[in-house]
Amino acid sequence: MANTWGYGAMTNSLGDIQNSKAIIIFGANPAVNHPVGFQHFLKAKERNNAKIIVIDPRYTKTAAKADYYAQIRPGTDIPFMYGMLNLIFKNGWHDENFIKDRVYGMEDIMEEAKNWPIERVADVTGVDADLIVQITRHYAHQNPGTLVWAMGLTQHTNGSSNTRLAPIIQLALGNMGKEGGGTNILRGHDNVQGATDMCCLSHTLPGYYGLSDGSWKYFAKSWNVDYEWLKGRFKSPEWMNKKGFTLSRWWSGVLGGNPGEDKIHNAGTNLKALFVMANGITSTAQQKKVKEGLDNLELLVLCDPFVNEAAILTDKQDDVYILPAATQFETSGSVTATNRSAQWRTEIIKPMYESKTDHDILFDLAKRLGFYDQLTAGMLVREDKKEYKWPEDATDEIARTIKTIGLTGWTAARLKKHQENWHMFDEISMRGYGEMTGEYYGLPWPCWTEGHSGSPILYNINLPVKEGGMGFRNRFGLEHEGVDLLAGKGSAPKGSVAKDGYPEITRDNIEEVLKIKLTADEKKRIGKNWKVDTSNIIAEKCMEAGIAPYGNAKARAVVWTFADKIPLHREPLHSPRQDLVKKYPSFADKENHYRVDTRYISEQSEQNWSKDFPINLVTGRLVNMNGAGMENRASKYLAKLSPEMFCDINPDLAGRHGIRDGSMMWIHSPQGTKIKVKAKYSHSVSDDRIFLPFHFAGVMEGESLLHKYPEGTAPYAIGESANTVTNYGYDIVTQIPETKGGLCQIERA
Amino acid sequence: MSSNLNTEVDFARMKFYCDENRCIHCDGCSVACAEAHELPAEISRRKVVTVNEGKQGMEFSLSVACMHCTDAPCEEVCPVDCFYIRTDGIVLHDKDKCIGCSYCLYACPFGAPQFPSNGAFGTKGVMDKCTMCAGGPLETNSEHERELYGQNRISEGKVPVCAAMCSTKALLVGDAESVSNIFRERVMAAGHGPQSSPYGWDKAYGK
Repeated sequence: MANTWGYGAMTNSLGDIQNSKAIIIFGANPAVNHPVGFQHFLKAKERNNAKIIVIDPRYTKTAAKADYYAQIRPGTDIPFMYGMLNLIFKNGWHDENFIKDRVYGMEDIMEEAKNWPIERVADVTGVDADLIVQITRHYAHQNPGTLVWAMGLTQHTNGSSNTRLAPIIQLALGNMGKEGGGTNILRGHDNVQGATDMCCLSHTLPGYYGLSDGSWKYFAKSWNVDYEWLKGRFKSPEWMNKKGFTLSRWWSGVLGGNPGEDKIHNAGTNLKALFVMANGITSTAQQKKVKEGLDNLELLVLCDPFVNEAAILTDKQDDVYILPAATQFETSGSVTATNRSAQWRTEIIKPMYESKTDHDILFDLAKRLGFYDQLTAGMLVREDKKEYKWPEDATDEIARTIKTIGLTGWTAARLKKHQENWHMFDEISMRGYGEMTGEYYGLPWPCWTEGHSGSPILYNINLPVKEGGMGFRNRFGLEHEGVDLLAGKGSAPKGSVAKDGYPEITRDNIEEVLKIKLTADEKKRIGKNWKVDTSNIIAEKCMEAGIAPYGNAKARAVVWTFADKIPLHREPLHSPRQDLVKKYPSFADKENHYRVDTRYISEQSEQNWSKDFPINLVTGRLVNMNGAGMENRASKYLAKLSPEMFCDINPDLAGRHGIRDGSMMWIHSPQGTKIKVKAKYSHSVSDDRIFLPFHFAGVMEGESLLHKYPEGTAPYAIGESANTVTNYGYDIVTQIPETKGGLCQIERA
Repeated sequence: MSSNLNTEVDFARMKFYCDENRCIHCDGCSVACAEAHELPAEISRRKVVTVNEGKQGMEFSLSVACMHCTDAPCEEVCPVDCFYIRTDGIVLHDKDKCIGCSYCLYACPFGAPQFPSNGAFGTKGVMDKCTMCAGGPLETNSEHERELYGQNRISEGKVPVCAAMCSTKALLVGDAESVSNIFRERVMAAGHGPQSSPYGWDKAYGK
């Protein structure tokens, strides 16, 4: 996404789906995972006669509301999408002008699409050729159409290719930058977008600034700390620029160097301590490895309102600390919704008993570690204060610093005003009325200045920039292989001084692009470019000139820095179609992938996995649970809805293995792990695959761990974790685990 | 000022309606109900049912509770006459009169009456069911009423908690006329989309 057009975020919004004429959903189940948001899909059906198209290995609750449903084989989204593109290009259903003016490299996609005639697509995906034609014809003709996805597209070894090809479909059909169009990626938890924006990840600084020296210097300044002091915190300076471990492979950092484990690159040492804040690490892939990692730590600290079941999973006896953290009702501040809108929250009650808020826990920790003053220094800058006010000054620090995604307008005062007046915004367009006229609810980013409206729909050139319009971001240079990467003639946002494409705005080009003259004072205060211009002169001048600070360029279908320059089909590491593995093999093994060597082709070709493990395994959520499920299973009424771990299995498949409805069954993984769960007959899965919900913990390979819960903390329901049997396999770019298309074998217990 | 004011009171007739095109079996209604009235785990005043689960093109879900029937069969069969029907149509019962015989359960076409399962020697205890959040015969909003019948939201002018919580607004409750108005609006809107200009303007005057 970010590599296609600049930002990796939902381009439109849930409410805007009501403007869609067709909704195609790949690997998402909003009826279960976003039940409130799903009302907008249903309203689109009612009001627009919009057809819902669901592509999913399972007949989900979302599929039950669909007009077209394709039961795809896990891990074959790319062939399906190329099949669609093949038909689109062959029949001339694509938007030629849009592609010409606003997309780079579509020719390469057209070529690859030719390799996917519909019969081949049908063979690889397991979907009837006729149905693929019907779906494509319908989707291509109902404009605007929106494309929706979630973890079903991302959690694959080639998930990052999936999430590039889906936008390419939208580009081919000219569905971008339109009401009712866009790529509406559904974020899975509260504030995932905000956590991503602030980079609770290991590969960049907050706001996607990267890890270069220049970025660190910008942040040292913004945080009001000495750059040399920051540098001194690292083992040696070069580690400042290296990515860290990921959530999915942190345990490799502990186990690296052990026989049979992937090699790590971590300054000659293993990870020794783990500090977990509100993360269900018992719902990540390869649970037994997670346990081994936990067992071998020197120190484990878990902060959660409920007992984090990592404490139950591990056999570690000493130096495991469980800190009671407060809930979101006991603190305040802003969170970011899936559509890039901010929402302010108010503290409802003070933290109960001895629990503390997350920030207090971190402040206390920083005090003991001796850098509390530096940690909080940035909050004093704005008004040159002696003492900060939490969380307002933190919010203002973010607004002051994060230019890349345009958070300048997100001051605490404005966000609070939106919260107080949320009745004054339209449900569909998010436009404010009354006192809130001229603003969109939650000021969806980019919100370039303190007077900006917010941008409800990304890349919409039919609006002036100051009202939320913009082209695609100029992020990948001005030209590639001699081809101009800036947008074509006449494709500048409405009301702009420039009519065509233009580069991102810098100190050096601002006068030329904006056709203005800066005063001597402005020249003195202006920053080097729009991303580091703390004076905000660039953004302010851009608004006046109708120019998007980040430029107006073409989206790209080709990412020349990736292993696959255009998305290509590659079979999952553990594929039931060994005949296709030879034709569409996985990537070459990748060295030092977030500090750990990661296997692709060597794992895939190690043996004929499908011989001993012939059944596809997919995991997912239940509507009454969330994440690792601890807080839900500790609720009497939620636990009652699914009191036991189970496996959805087609009666045909179950019958062949002598497994009765409601009886116990074993599931074995290629990694040699197993779980014992209750069989639940269901026609939602075909007879070549099973489905497991991933919210259970507290049982490991048939053994109950109930005795390990601290007194009074055991939830109403415990069960085997699906992730004990999810397979090895991690995305080539992001390292997300391949949990939506592994293999397993089953037997009667 | 109008001189001939209608002095006849037109009572509301309260009804439930669950739109099967919208219900997604999220169980928001049933959990909200259990939580609000602090029900024992074995009591399900409201339940969501999915029919033909996983069968393509045949699956649908609905939320079911006491429908507060006109001529309620439960009331007809009750040997101790513990039921009473309010003027607005809400069917309630008196737990102090109920003998737990479960005749009402056999008479009810919706499986609404619930019985506690933890009595000694298989005795059932008194019946419990959806009150449309209208409490019981005891003093309105008293502690005693709350204990036996749960919250009385209707007396506070609030929508019953199930419908308030419904994630897709599939479950509607209220005066029959309001419910049918909402449904009518959904049916009429089907296929039209939000109007951006007066009817006919785009044809007559161009967009």
